[in-house]
Amino acid sequence: MQQGTSAEVLDTIVTAETPEGILLELRPAGLPARCYAFLIDLLVRLALLYAFEIAALAAGGLGIALTIILVFVLEWFYPVIFELSRWGATPGKRSLGLRVVMDNGLPVTPAASLTRNLLRAADFLPFFYAFAVVSMLLRRDSKRLGDLAAATLVVYQPTPTARIALEEIAPLAPAVALTPRDQAALMALAARATRLTAARVDELAALAAPISGDSGRSGPEVTRRVLGVAQWYLGRR
Amino acid sequence: MTPLQFEQQHQQEWLELQALLSQLHKSLRGRSREGKPIAGERVAALYRRACEQLALARARAYPAYLIDRLEQLTADGHQLIYQRSEFGYEKLKRMVGVEFPRAVRAHSAYVWLALAVFAIPTLVLGFLVYFRPELILSVVDTYTAQSFEQMYSKSAAAIGHNRAADTDWQMFGFYIRNNIGISFRCFAGGLFAGLGSLFFLAFNGAYTGAIGGYLTQKGLGETFYSFVVTHSAFELTAIVLSGAAGLRLGHALLVPGRYTRLQSLVRASKESTVIIYGVVAFLLIAASIEAFWSSARWIPPLMKYAVAALVWTAVISYLTLQGRGAR
Repeated sequence: MQQGTSAEVLDTIVTAETPEGILLELRPAGLPARCYAFLIDLLVRLALLYAFEIAALAAGGLGIALTIILVFVLEWFYPVIFELSRWGATPGKRSLGLRVVMDNGLPVTPAASLTRNLLRAADFLPFFYAFAVVSMLLRRDSKRLGDLAAATLVVYQPTPTARIALEEIAPLAPAVALTPRDQAALMALAARATRLTAARVDELAALAAPISGDSGRSGPEVTRRVLGVAQWYLGRR
Repeated sequence: MTPLQFEQQHQQEWLELQALLSQLHKSLRGRSREGKPIAGERVAALYRRACEQLALARARAYPAYLIDRLEQLTADGHQLIYQRSEFGYEKLKRMVGVEFPRAVRAHSAYVWLALAVFAIPTLVLGFLVYFRPELILSVVDTYTAQSFEQMYSKSAAAIGHNRAADTDWQMFGFYIRNNIGISFRCFAGGLFAGLGSLFFLAFNGAYTGAIGGYLTQKGLGETFYSFVVTHSAFELTAIVLSGAAGLRLGHALLVPGRYTRLQSLVRASKESTVIIYGVVAFLLIAASIEAFWSSARWIPPLMKYAVAALVWTAVISYLTLQGRGAR
């Protein structure tokens, strides 16, 4: 894949090579997403505890004991249990589309999950996850200390990209031959066309106008022609 | 070949792979819901082809939706095909029988250091407080000292009355939460170049020593020692072991040798996690003994000492001898 230097500077993508020789692209989740996930998990834990406590009050001393044990399990093993489940993430992370994987893109192993969650105690120091925050802000892959030691990553679950929906635009042969990079840029524009405002698409298409032989002109008609070239490259003739 | 042709040509394979993967994802032991085995060979072949097609699509700069689709397909396949199963009875048996005691012995230098850092403050504070009881107030406040005194007192109200069963359960919960927390902090502290582990070990050692010395001086020695002697075989060992695992992390960070600091840390935490598995088990055993055996007042102290001697011997010989011959 061709990647410009600017993309390398701006993008936080981590690539992991599989034994088949292809590169998997992992998109690490940054501090805000993980904070929200943490807060949601905190609420889930509190809700669980609250519900359990109401039930336990009826059960007396044994109930209190089980509540204390539950507090302990929720404190240390809540993330471990969920990370080792099929989803690879706690409910909070899942709701934000995150999951925990190993550095090489594989599902998190029990040992790694245990390590990263016990070392949470170190991340928590000196007060309210300060070390975790500093570590996540300093690192481009947003790892906290536990992630560093366990060799794990919190990544965005990939979401499928929408197909390029331009069926109604007539294909048009390009006026000049395009390099692969230009083709990719044109495809990207075509894919985004439906999500942008008409004025913005016109503005962007004007930049690409030479490929449809419309250099220097702009407007909805030029946009149609530029997208028509995209159609042509997609394979609709 | 245009992107659309490419898509049409391989569409069928991708759909088949996707269907197989989602079956595999929901299945147990490679069988589908209906109990039919899933064709692993077919999955592997299709997965390899999808990898090839992804490489082609990238090289030809095909549109993002195609590449994304292939990326997701291969990522899903990769996750399912290369996952490791670390559960199971055999694995557990090997962990208990060989790997845990062996890991402890492999880290013996750290274990000795952790033991020294824990035991020296215990002894020093123990003797100090024994000879000058007012020093207890430099470790805990008056209220805590009094409550410890009451906990182990021979007062009429406590003696002869078995603690109610539900209180035992309560204490069990409390011990689990408190002691495992201490232990885990001893481990996690290792990330700060080992200083955290040293601090938590020394602090808990000093605390234990001070309380012991204070209670002995007050003449409550028998209640106190008969209480702690049995479960401490597991509890103190667990604290020392998790401290040792923490020191291993700290050492790996300080002296990475021929690795980068990060690689060295990852290696160290992989190896020391085995110890932490054992520590968790030890602490659960300790909490059960503490709640249901140690606190039982109807058992005569002599009996407790005898059992404790057995338990200590068993724990030490387990850690030093178990799994030596195994391959």
